[in-house]
Parts: sequence; structure tokens; C-alpha cells
Amino acid sequence: MYADTQNDITRQIVRVAQLLLAYGAESELVEEISQRLGHALGLASVEISISSNSLVLTSLVHGRCITTTRRTREHGINMTIVCELQRICLLTEKGLYGLNEVRKRVSRIEPRTYPKRYLVPMIGLSCASFCHLFGGDIAACVITFFASSLGMFVRVSIAKHHFNLLLNFAVTAFVTTLIAQLGYQFSLTDTPKLPMAASVLMLVPGFPMINSISDMVKGHLNVGISRWGHATLLTVSSVIGITIAMQLGGLFL
Amino acid sequence: MMELLLALLNDAFFSAIPAVGFAMVFNVPKRFLPYCAVAGAIGHSFRTLLLHIGLPIEWATFAAAALVGLVTIGFAKRHLAPPLMYAVAAIIPMIPGTYAFNTVIALVQLTAQSEISPELTSQVISNGLKTVFILGALSVGLAMPSLLYFRTRPVI
Repeated sequence: MYADTQNDITRQIVRVAQLLLAYGAESELVEEISQRLGHALGLASVEISISSNSLVLTSLVHGRCITTTRRTREHGINMTIVCELQRICLLTEKGLYGLNEVRKRVSRIEPRTYPKRYLVPMIGLSCASFCHLFGGDIAACVITFFASSLGMFVRVSIAKHHFNLLLNFAVTAFVTTLIAQLGYQFSLTDTPKLPMAASVLMLVPGFPMINSISDMVKGHLNVGISRWGHATLLTVSSVIGITIAMQLGGLFL
Repeated sequence: MMELLLALLNDAFFSAIPAVGFAMVFNVPKRFLPYCAVAGAIGHSFRTLLLHIGLPIEWATFAAAALVGLVTIGFAKRHLAPPLMYAVAAIIPMIPGTYAFNTVIALVQLTAQSEISPELTSQVISNGLKTVFILGALSVGLAMPSLLYFRTRPVI
């Protein structure tokens, strides 16, 4: 294998690992996919070291090493991309794809999200069913639906302007709680506490939390702890938003 | 018996909706959304069944999360997609929302008061412990199949 081929393969692999980390895959999956892709493309071994905001990758073939570092940034969770990269890895392993096909498909990847008009009512319905599962009555479910739909609308609109995620969560929690406490203010429902609990559940950082525990359980303690810290910060900032809204409404204080 | 069945069906339906909603937030591809719904419904109704038998909520959550992990590994093998894609959306309905909310409310009240009241403190501790342990049971239960069966080989 010539040196420039090894360069090229290493670049593709590190690009794949970078994309996986940016769109929210767990460390074990990142390591596994980059090693399997490396083997499939003809490298002797691929070693990878992941930290909270960068990754270092070394490829070895014929006694010749290439080490390269990439900065990673969070781009939000996008499972479509993770799925696509996994498929590329599997197809390469089966021998259907060579380096050129891998390069072509990786360069064609772009993040696509669900449009707002589906996302907003769907999250409203989700939080309304949480409220129903917690034992709320119909009026409570309706309040939850409106509160969390509006909250999701705010969240998506803020996210489009690339504000800090913590700020986004605080503002969204504030708006959501402001609407959800209408049940208290006008005594519309018999279970006024449940809309407030159910409608802010859309802010639960589910993916960072599960990823962090499964990273820590599988031995990537470093990344796991940093993801845990991120999830905790997100929770704290939404609590701040909730508290401000409740103080404005004069509840529990 | 009939009542239990109806309650389980009700549970399954209303936990399938949040599973799909959150799967859309995580941008799961459209063709996999029904599987997220199925996994979410199975997980939450299994937990309700275990709670009905009389298991404490932490253990019931742990068993339900392990079941979700098993089911989603089956889906992952069939579709060649990462199992966490289905699993995280599926366990969202089991997140201890009311416990977490009660903890936070009691904490805020405790901050606003000038002296420490025993009722609020006990509320913080009991609700907080429940939240932490249910969350731990969820995530460790989800990792269980890959810790027990897929120790040395990849899932797909």
C-alpha cells in the first residue's frame, strides 16, 4: 500500500468518526465502526482515543503510522446520519464498497431534520400522553398539549439561530411552565400539578444521559463523565427556567 | 383480568405516542418509527404489569429496560441499524417525570424559606432518591443484553 493511499483511507475513517461523535453516537460504537472500516479498507490496525471535544486516530499498515487529530463539535442528535454511517461500514466490510464509494457516500451526507409542522404537534401529543399516563384528566391533557407545543415551537425557533443550548433550554422551560400553570391560575382542572410536570418532560436530555451511562459502563469513563456533566447542566438550566416562571405566577412560594 | 388487560392496552397506546414523538426529535429515519413505537409500548406496559404484581418501581423499571434492550437488539439485527436508536426513544415514557418535578419543587420551596422544614427535606430526599435510582435502573437495564450476551462480539 502506498503512503498516499494510507493517508486517504485515514482521512475517510477519521471523517466518519468525527461525524459519528458530532451527531451523538456512543463511544463504543465510534471505536467499533472506525476499526472495522479500517480493517475492511486494508489497514492493519486503527487505534482511536476519544476525549470530550476532540479525537485522535492512528492508523498502522506495513510498519508505517499516521496519527491525526480532529476537533469535534456537538451538532445535536441525528440518528439518520449514524444509521447511514453504520450501513457504509457494513457494506464496506462485505466488500461491496471500496475507498471511492466510501468517499462519495460520506461526502454526500447532510443532516436532515423533521419539519417543524410535524415535530411541534407530535411533541404536544407526546407530553399530553405523559399527562394521561400520570393520571391527569382531559383538561389537564389539553393544557399540556398547548404548553408543550408552544414550548417545542420556541425550542426549534431558537435552535435555528444557533443560540447556546443551555440558554435555549432555560427559555423553553420558562415559556412552557408559564402556559402550563394556567390550570392553577384559573382552576381549569382537578389535577393542576400534572400539566406542569408533564409538559417540561420534553426537555429531558435522554440521549446524553443514556449515552453517558453506557459509555461509563463500557469503560469510556472520560467521555461518559463529560456527557453526564452536559446532561446535568441542561437539566439545571431548565430548572432555572421553571423556577422563574413559577415565581412570576406566584406558585409554591 | 379484563380490567388489567384494558389498562395494559391503554398503557401501550399512550406510551407508543411519546416514543414516536421523541424518535422524531432524535431524527430517527421515517421507516424505523413504527419499531420505536412497538418497543416503547412493550417496555411501558411490561413495567405496568410488573408494578401490578407488586414489584417495587425500581426493579420493575430495570426489568422493563432490559426487555427493551433485548427487543431492540432484535430490531437492530434485522435492519442493520444501531440498537440505541430504537432503545432511547422507547424508554423515554418510563422517565420518572413526576418524581423529578416534585424534587425540584420541594428544593425551590426549601430555598425560599428561611428555616429548614422537615417535611420539605424528607420530600426532597425521598423523591430525589426515587428519581436517581429509576434513571440508573433505566440506563443499566438497557445496557444489560450487551453486557451479558455480546461481550466480545459486536451486536451487528
